[in-house]
Amino acid sequence: MTITNPAVTPATVTQPATTGRKRPNPIKRFWPQYVSIAPFYVLFLVFGLFPLVFSIWLSFNDWDGMGSMNFVGLAQYRFLITDPRFWNAVGNTFIIWFISTIPMLFLALVIAFLLHQNIRFKGFYRVAFFLPNVTSMVAMAIVFGSVFSDSFGVINSALQALGAAQIPWLSSPWGIKVTIACMVIWRWTGYNSIIYLAGLQAISTELYESARVDGANGWNIFSRITVPMLRPVILFTVITSTIGGLSLFTEPQVLLGDSGGPGEAGMTIVLYQYNQAFTQFDFGYGSAIAWALFIIAVIFAIINWRLVSEREVGGQKVFKVRRQRKEVAE
Amino acid sequence: MAFPRRSFLAGAAGLGALAAAGGLSACGSQVSISNDPKELVLWYWDRSADPKLLAQAAKEIPGTNGYRLRADVIGGTFDTKLRTSLAGNAFIPDLTFINSNVSLYFPNQDLFHDLNSLGAEKYRQLYFDWKWQLGVTPTNRFCFFPLDTGPTGFYYRKDVFDKAKLPSDPDSVGEAIKTWDGYIELGQKLKKNVGSFMEITAGQIFGQYINASAERYFDKAGRPLYMNPTSTIRDAWDVAVKAVKAGVTGNQQNGTDQNAAWTTGKTAGHIEAVWWAQILADTAPDTKGKWRLASQPVRAGNSGGSFVCIPHTSKNPEAAFAFITWLNNPQNQAQAFNNMQLFPSAKDSFTSGTMKSNTGFFGDQDPLQFFLKAAEQVPTSFISTYETQAQYFGTEITNVESGGKDPERAWDDAVNQTNRTLRKRGIDV
Repeated sequence: MTITNPAVTPATVTQPATTGRKRPNPIKRFWPQYVSIAPFYVLFLVFGLFPLVFSIWLSFNDWDGMGSMNFVGLAQYRFLITDPRFWNAVGNTFIIWFISTIPMLFLALVIAFLLHQNIRFKGFYRVAFFLPNVTSMVAMAIVFGSVFSDSFGVINSALQALGAAQIPWLSSPWGIKVTIACMVIWRWTGYNSIIYLAGLQAISTELYESARVDGANGWNIFSRITVPMLRPVILFTVITSTIGGLSLFTEPQVLLGDSGGPGEAGMTIVLYQYNQAFTQFDFGYGSAIAWALFIIAVIFAIINWRLVSEREVGGQKVFKVRRQRKEVAE
Repeated sequence: MAFPRRSFLAGAAGLGALAAAGGLSACGSQVSISNDPKELVLWYWDRSADPKLLAQAAKEIPGTNGYRLRADVIGGTFDTKLRTSLAGNAFIPDLTFINSNVSLYFPNQDLFHDLNSLGAEKYRQLYFDWKWQLGVTPTNRFCFFPLDTGPTGFYYRKDVFDKAKLPSDPDSVGEAIKTWDGYIELGQKLKKNVGSFMEITAGQIFGQYINASAERYFDKAGRPLYMNPTSTIRDAWDVAVKAVKAGVTGNQQNGTDQNAAWTTGKTAGHIEAVWWAQILADTAPDTKGKWRLASQPVRAGNSGGSFVCIPHTSKNPEAAFAFITWLNNPQNQAQAFNNMQLFPSAKDSFTSGTMKSNTGFFGDQDPLQFFLKAAEQVPTSFISTYETQAQYFGTEITNVESGGKDPERAWDDAVNQTNRTLRKRGIDV
């Protein structure tokens, strides 16, 4: 198609209107391409789009998953707004997200910075730090359950040996949250540091070299060059951690079970949704919780977008100025 | 360019068609799992049936003129899978086991055969009446046939009781804890003398008190009973709160803690069903010979134990029912106990003389005789489908124990939460 016969070209150029009208139906013309992408769309339609749309419908119904559906209008949402357990779950999710994400990203950055140096066994450390991310969560929950165990755990034994008071990690509201945050940190720090490492490798070594020549020490280089240059990568990890934090489910579920432990202190939004849909068989309410989470996620997306676009406004100004100059020059 | 474009396209088209066909075939569904008219499909979960009996039925179900059983093990989230197939009216087993939560299926009971219409009544006298009654729906349809049972008792560490200089033989322990006051009193002595607890959590006491009572959360008409000041639930709550205040429960809310507590003797007791013996022997093998069984306060209860039923789409309900009665005849239940520790619901299993008691773990005590005696005491009760919505009582008693919440406030919160949830599901309270 790209090879055009020079002898024919003038003819097509002279009759652009007729060729346009005679163009066959794009579906007929490109059917092999459509067929090649069909498997994904068919599967997405069945397992992605349909459940998505159906859950909107479900959230306006009362349904136990078997019997007849009962249309209840906005009753599920009205209940949700006044449901203290839901708001407890929202609060828990944010607290755990906050106390896990900040130390995690900081630690990841430090680890990435250290891994970027000329140290021995670099490859080994990189694999070692990524390993928690691919470890089975159930095995992890058993290990964490033993380490943080109230009266038999390693941590409490250590605290006792140091003469400090034991902390009921798995039965007090803050203990539970800190334990879950530790699981999140343990699992995702390596993953984030690998992303940072990739970002670090994109920073030109000339910057570091000239900084050294100017007499900067390690901390200066880290805070004045590495962090500012990594800003887009850091923003990316903040966004992915927000998504991960809002949809936190596996860690509390394997550690504490379907009801989030004593006082529901480890109940997150998604765990509450699962609890309502699959242990209470209240699919209508489960769907309503899912859509409430969607709204919360949208709010966060808007905040993120505002943060990013404010910087872009600055960038656009520069762009606009340049274009104006161009116009002036013309 | 060396890539054969045509064959690639053909392959892609094939894949697309396959996906489309897969999607469509699910719509033009098939109600039964097996196309073979002589094959009945049973859904069960691991360790809920004796594989030897299932293998025998796979050749031919006795007395059915050539019907064969295909038993499929369903792993994990059993209820979700069963409910999904029933809701979709597709790929429904011809017979299925359901765990002790049969009341979950009461609102959809018309999806199961009333076994009385298949002649279940004449088998009734073979089984413990309280177990039989648990399979009867609020509208008096008998849909769920008894499999195994879970009579309960007080498991305790004899060595720890000895160390605490307390009576330690089963009879005198049973005598000392005849009432809940006696239980708490003994627990206080145990705590004072050796620092051990009687029970892992207050929630366990609360739950087992209810499991040993004739009255539970709701009556058959679905009316809540817990708001009545003299209700069982309120009594169970008060006993659990009293146990917390007396310091006889260990506040061990997590499985790792609980196992460590029983192994070390930090917690020297537990009220649980017969099936817990196997779990205990697996988790704490070193404590073999140190445990004994005593009668729990007031009377024994039932915790767990499953049922079998026939979905309305079953290929041949008569043949399915023949399998049920054969699988659960006293001899076969005795065999299932010997092979899988499934405690019989058929009374004659115990007199058949073939049941082997697994002694040793309880020293010279015979657990079989103990639990048979317990099974005979279990009161007849009604488990309502709304008990799923009444889980807040358990949550709140845990708050009292581990969070130090004021018991009266916790009780009010539990009642309000339960009522709110029930109203949302369209139940008048």
